[in-house]
Amino acid sequence: MLLYRSVQFPSLQISILSSIFPSILTMLSLFAHLSLTPSSRPDNPTHNPKLHSNPTHLRKDPILTRQQNEFDLAGKNYSGAGASPEEERSSIPDGLRRELMPEHVAVIMDGNRRWARMRGLPSGSGYEAGIRAFRVLVELCCKWGIRVLTVFAFSSDNWVRPKMEVDFLMNLFEKGIKAELDNFMREDIKVSIIGDPSKLPTSLQRLIARVEKNTKHNTGLHLVVAVNYSGKYDIVQACQSIAQKVKDGLIEPEEINESSIEQELETNCAEYPYPDLLIRTSGELRVSNFFLWQLAYTELFFSKSHWPDFGEADFVEALVSFQQRQRRYGGYK
Amino acid sequence: MYLGGEMQKAKAITLYQIAQIGHLGLLLLWHLVHLIVNIWYFALGLGQTLESYLISSGLLKRYNSLDSNRVRYLAIVVDSEEACQTSKVLELLQHLENIGIKHVCLYDPEGLLKKSKEAIFEKLTRVKLYEEATKSDSLVRKHITLELASFSDGKKAVAEAANYLYKKNYIGGEQKEFICSESSIDEALKAIGCAHADPDLLLVYGPARCHLGFPAWRLRYTEIVHMGPLKSMKLGSLIKAIYNFTKVHQNYGT
Repeated sequence: MLLYRSVQFPSLQISILSSIFPSILTMLSLFAHLSLTPSSRPDNPTHNPKLHSNPTHLRKDPILTRQQNEFDLAGKNYSGAGASPEEERSSIPDGLRRELMPEHVAVIMDGNRRWARMRGLPSGSGYEAGIRAFRVLVELCCKWGIRVLTVFAFSSDNWVRPKMEVDFLMNLFEKGIKAELDNFMREDIKVSIIGDPSKLPTSLQRLIARVEKNTKHNTGLHLVVAVNYSGKYDIVQACQSIAQKVKDGLIEPEEINESSIEQELETNCAEYPYPDLLIRTSGELRVSNFFLWQLAYTELFFSKSHWPDFGEADFVEALVSFQQRQRRYGGYK
Repeated sequence: MYLGGEMQKAKAITLYQIAQIGHLGLLLLWHLVHLIVNIWYFALGLGQTLESYLISSGLLKRYNSLDSNRVRYLAIVVDSEEACQTSKVLELLQHLENIGIKHVCLYDPEGLLKKSKEAIFEKLTRVKLYEEATKSDSLVRKHITLELASFSDGKKAVAEAANYLYKKNYIGGEQKEFICSESSIDEALKAIGCAHADPDLLLVYGPARCHLGFPAWRLRYTEIVHMGPLKSMKLGSLIKAIYNFTKVHQNYGT
């Protein structure tokens, strides 16, 4: 697993040296302990009777301290099923820190058709495999305490695709949402759909309204699905709403500013409207008219895997990369 | 009983020492893993530097056939802390000129590059400000056109465009039902002087892999490449990023 990092030679040399010396010291300590027999061990004038009575009590070390911190800060029920603190602590993979997890992750699920083409399968198989990968990601987000997950399911630019493919996708959305509705309730997942619903099939529109209504009081993961969405459309409808509000006398013309536009964006339905981390699969290095306004300080992670192949290991890689970054949010820490 | 107590004591000491050895073993493993990871990244960095040198010296043949015309508009995002390094910015612009890039947008969130405008144009004679160059075709042909942008050219510009649309459609005269669209925002941005081309490629120089508020309206299909810190900027990496862009196929949603 390759981890991306900015390379700066002087700091790397220091890192290597700072790893070598403690390693040598630790090795020497280890050899000293191994070579000393119990009878030849010198008396320790500072010997603490408490240590003697509790031989497993160890001085603080980085590994245990970190695990203890994760335990202390966990506090959340990731699985939604009353996981114990030990289960919560062990559910975060090694190398990730609970306190540095992103609150909002956005995903552009790209590469379904290419995945299918590589295997000599029809595009539909790629999309179905993509649904499975999506379920895995939702489960991981629930488990690891991510508060908001937004997925880019269908762009308003995708209507130019063949009608058969678009109809298949709409049908797949409908089936997928129906199949997962019970799961959403069980896992306490709140579902919101963003995008222009007017062009979607009527049955899908009704289903969307139903699932949003049924899950609106859920308090676990907030799953936001972008269907017939585009970043430009979001900005346009926000500007339209603002202008209408001023016309209706709800706000003053002087209040047309960045903040008022942000409040009208569709992503404002989430507790954390701006993604901390955006993942795009299949190696493409662009956002393709997904979130535009919202991405100013979002960490961008471009994964080479096609979406159906994006699994836990790839997600961990993205999260590790995110946690290693110094994000300054415009200069204010 | 005394003997039993002594045996208990010896047993406890042995267990304690085993635990200590185990702990030290884990610590050693931890440091060794750190060492391995750092050596790996060091080797990776060496490889990247070597590759960059080979590219810039022309030894890697495939990069010699770089078609820079495919990059119609290049944007560079520089972290504000690094934007103070005017010499590195100048070096970057010089490299871009040598590669053959014609239109460049330099962006930093706090507008420090706008403040260093005079220093930039003083040192680079073949660079012209975008607004001046577009007035004359001959200037566009002979020079690099340079646009300097900051955070205020992004979200604030869109808010001003919204304000402009409101005033145009709802104030005075006949108030008609106004339907906002992408083209109406494009026109509004043009009217307020904030209309520029969408960049084909955006190179981000800074510690974080994000575009730091580059005008969002212009990023719809822009390729975004993170280049690392500006102080580590190398000609070879720049050529590689532009070369990789020229090989990309975009389907624009189809």
